Amino acid sequence: MPDVTARKDVQTLPTVEGDLWAEFRQVERLTLSLTQTYTHTLGKYSRFFIELENRRFMATHCETCDQVYAPPRPLCPQCLKPTVWLELSGTGTLKTFSVLHFSPGSNADVRSLATPYIFAYVLLDGASTLFPHLLRAPLEQVKSGMRVQVAYGDSPVEHPIHLMYFVPAE
Amino acid sequence: MTRLPVIAGVGMTRFAADRPDCNPRDLLAEAVLALLADTGMPDLKSVQHGLCSYESDHFNRQMTLAAILHDQIGLLPTPTVRVEGGGATGALALRTAWAYVQSGLCDSILVYGCETNGRGVSSQTANQLFALSADFDWEMMIGGTYTGFYAAMMRAHMEQYGTTPEQFAHVAVRNRRNAGFNPLAQKPMDITIEDVLASRPVAEPYRLLDCSLLSDGAAVILLATEEWARTNIPRFHNRPPVYFSATGCGTDTMRLGDRYPHITHFRAKRAAAQQAYQMASITDPLDQIDVAELYDSYSGVEIQAVEDLGFVPEGTGGVNVASGLFDLGGQLPVNTSGGLLGRGAPVGATGIAQAIEIALQLWGEADPRRQVAGARRGLTDTHAGIATISVVNIFERRD
Ligand SMILES: [Zn+2]
Repeated sequence: MPDVTARKDVQTLPTVEGDLWAEFRQVERLTLSLTQTYTHTLGKYSRFFIELENRRFMATHCETCDQVYAPPRPLCPQCLKPTVWLELSGTGTLKTFSVLHFSPGSNADVRSLATPYIFAYVLLDGASTLFPHLLRAPLEQVKSGMRVQVAYGDSPVEHPIHLMYFVPAE
Repeated sequence: MTRLPVIAGVGMTRFAADRPDCNPRDLLAEAVLALLADTGMPDLKSVQHGLCSYESDHFNRQMTLAAILHDQIGLLPTPTVRVEGGGATGALALRTAWAYVQSGLCDSILVYGCETNGRGVSSQTANQLFALSADFDWEMMIGGTYTGFYAAMMRAHMEQYGTTPEQFAHVAVRNRRNAGFNPLAQKPMDITIEDVLASRPVAEPYRLLDCSLLSDGAAVILLATEEWARTNIPRFHNRPPVYFSATGCGTDTMRLGDRYPHITHFRAKRAAAQQAYQMASITDPLDQIDVAELYDSYSGVEIQAVEDLGFVPEGTGGVNVASGLFDLGGQLPVNTSGGLLGRGAPVGATGIAQAIEIALQLWGEADPRRQVAGARRGLTDTHAGIATISVVNIFERRD
């Protein structure tokens, strides 16, 4: 008999009374792994990630609407004019958060996260929107309304968004 | 004669965590055979158009699935089209079909939806694929999950209005109990609020029993003009006509943070409801709607929904849900099918299954244990993401 290397199992499911599918109750299942690899561009958002390497936190500013977008938007959705880069201090206020007890394992950085971790929404000083990122702090100290700031890591990362995270403000 | 579509027939599989004997096309075959039994049609040769409803090429492991499914159920060479809108896919598909019939493009259209979100996909892969439906570089890559986004919204709701875990646990208990009265539901459970509060935390404040199900399943609805249905559907005369009377759709930013300061509510859902209510001349939804299927992807989301749909004032969803207002026997029973928490949620079929439940209720054909007596008008609420795309559809019995 030839070997079916992906075979997980073959089973015969029970038939039911008057089974319409009695001819089709033998079921074979395979374990297949599909890998997808991309050249993923950070596009017009690239400067945000590049400046994280310089320990600078960048937003974009619409000078027409006076909106400050963090995460950045190259195009203001209100007036459809291109924005300009603006550096923020990196301090801000925690507005809401969740304590995650499992990691989706989206990439190598996320797979290495210890659970539980705090998924935080921060209103950076000078910004109009909330910036989502991890907050590294003892759970019992975390409260909506607390002051936080951007911290920059030194460890190697896969995705440059992990060059930063939030910590309680000094 | 009006071109407002009627529900000419329905069919669905039981929703299940795992169907090793079925790929998506096998699931659809079962739903279509159920439609034939429902309508008395021998086949689908009279149907003029198809509309395919599924979310994910990745979960189904097939692109251009619409063509394969269309062939599977004998609709070749009639036209078809695929509609995708995340979690709202099924409801958006019905809304699109509504417009196809209203426009005169066709007099009959089969909306067919299926998805294999169940155990055939490893939980790690499922999490990654669902994370792809978040904003890739800004949410997914830092370990964001939809459970987490919803949980952060619920925390803000709790802090602003005093909503409690006991209140949203009420939803988790009631919808799973309702599922026990629905033979096609995936996971009926007889549990208590204490069981929910004692289940393991997943993304606080949400716990395991606050979370809805991953499912394999299929569902179909045949929409048509009343004239076409009277001519082509043998069993149509046996039932009171149920019209798909109104539809609304709203949108919002994908990232919760971009909605600041409005992070406790679903703006898109409010917009969708407003459009649908205007179309259906509804001014007091709590009074004028008899039964509703709400998008309970997480228990607390139903509390947000009853506020955003205008059933109760903003901030009072928790108290009103816990009072039993939306339970069987209450003023406006919701999720009589069991909802996403108890009946299950194969994404492309979910919105269609919600509409099937409303049709059964309006026809008076639901299991007597969950039938809402005298129901004449019903609503479905379905959304993608954290209500990034939101659809409200309204159905009315007119006899
Ligand atoms: Zn602008």
